[in-house]
Amino acid sequence: MWSKSAEGKESSQAPQATALDPVTPKVASPSVMAASPVSASAITTPAPGASSTISAGLRIHGEISGTGDLYIDGEVQGSVRFGQSKVTVGPHGRVQADIEAREIVIEGTVQGNLKAAESVRLGGTSHVQGSLMTPRVAIEDGARLRGKVETTRAGELKRGAAAGQAKSAEVPATAPVTATKE
Amino acid sequence: MNWMAKPRFGGTATATARPPAKPGPATTAAAPGTSVRVSNGLKEFLWLISDVRNGRILDLGQVSQATLTFFIEKGYRVSTEDFLRSWKEFLSAEEERMRMAPVGEEMDKISQAILAEKFLETSLQYPEGSFHGVLAWDLFDYFDAELMPRVMDRLYTLLHPAGSVLALFHSRPAERFHRYRVVDAQSVELLPAPTLAVHARVFRNREILDLFGKFRSSKTFVGRDQLREGLFLK
Repeated sequence: MWSKSAEGKESSQAPQATALDPVTPKVASPSVMAASPVSASAITTPAPGASSTISAGLRIHGEISGTGDLYIDGEVQGSVRFGQSKVTVGPHGRVQADIEAREIVIEGTVQGNLKAAESVRLGGTSHVQGSLMTPRVAIEDGARLRGKVETTRAGELKRGAAAGQAKSAEVPATAPVTATKE
Repeated sequence: MNWMAKPRFGGTATATARPPAKPGPATTAAAPGTSVRVSNGLKEFLWLISDVRNGRILDLGQVSQATLTFFIEKGYRVSTEDFLRSWKEFLSAEEERMRMAPVGEEMDKISQAILAEKFLETSLQYPEGSFHGVLAWDLFDYFDAELMPRVMDRLYTLLHPAGSVLALFHSRPAERFHRYRVVDAQSVELLPAPTLAVHARVFRNREILDLFGKFRSSKTFVGRDQLREGLFLK
């Protein structure tokens, strides 16, 4: 009784994850994009460091990538790649896409995998169905997550994201979204 | 392996309720009504998985920063699925669908068994043997008779050989609905939460053993706070 098999009984790995202090996500004042139907290729970001917004009521299908920060309060289907920047999904945001960024903050609904080079924060109103891969994760009370959480070494995904961005140029804007279940 | 010879986590032998702990860096401030209890079940659970390299844990309660951080810092990978909430949302959606359906259309075919089967087509969808440990908390107290055995079968399948399940059972009808999170290696925090489901049943010890009949062995820890902890080894 309670005996353990010899299989897989090596010492545990050193911890990699650290918790973040719960902080309300801060989003730079967003610039508003056109409210009419927009193709993915029309989504551009301003100079590095500036932020773009996909505002409520806007629906986008396709791949979105860039270098500035991105705030999503509308609907996105496809993929979101902002390897060096911060992506925030606002409380009204509904994303059905994998998101890759330096930092990811979720307050709305996401069906897709989240890969962040630095951190992922799930706010109290967030609802995520998909995996989290990040060195640091912060989850506020009330957040809902259905999926796995994997911690990575800091910077590990940065290198991956850079490679991914080079690859993503070959992906058509209407590339299908990967299934989000494990 | 002689399990008595293996070093254990420290702590007392009886489960007792105690005042809320000071929030650590991984927890938020304690809400009114929260309590922290010594959990020998958790202690044993951790001991059972302590040597597993890259172990995987499935948490079937509400996702919690404290629980996630606790296991991730120990090198485990954690999957979460708020199972009871998903079940309740599924039932609500089905009720809505039936309400909107034309009169007489397939309504007579709906049964609790069918609902349970349908729900599990989209829930707990992981490869066999995925997890070394499952935190089931007090979920089984809230399941109906059709869902319970099906969930049990699925959990058994999802467990790695020698994997274990930690489950809690109320000794009398629960007065409040609680969520649970891990505070440290021998403490669990009970967080009062809006009632998600009505407490369905109080298990007798024999019923618990029958429910986990497929499992190789079990241990039960009885607390003074009317909460029994069960640890079941595949």
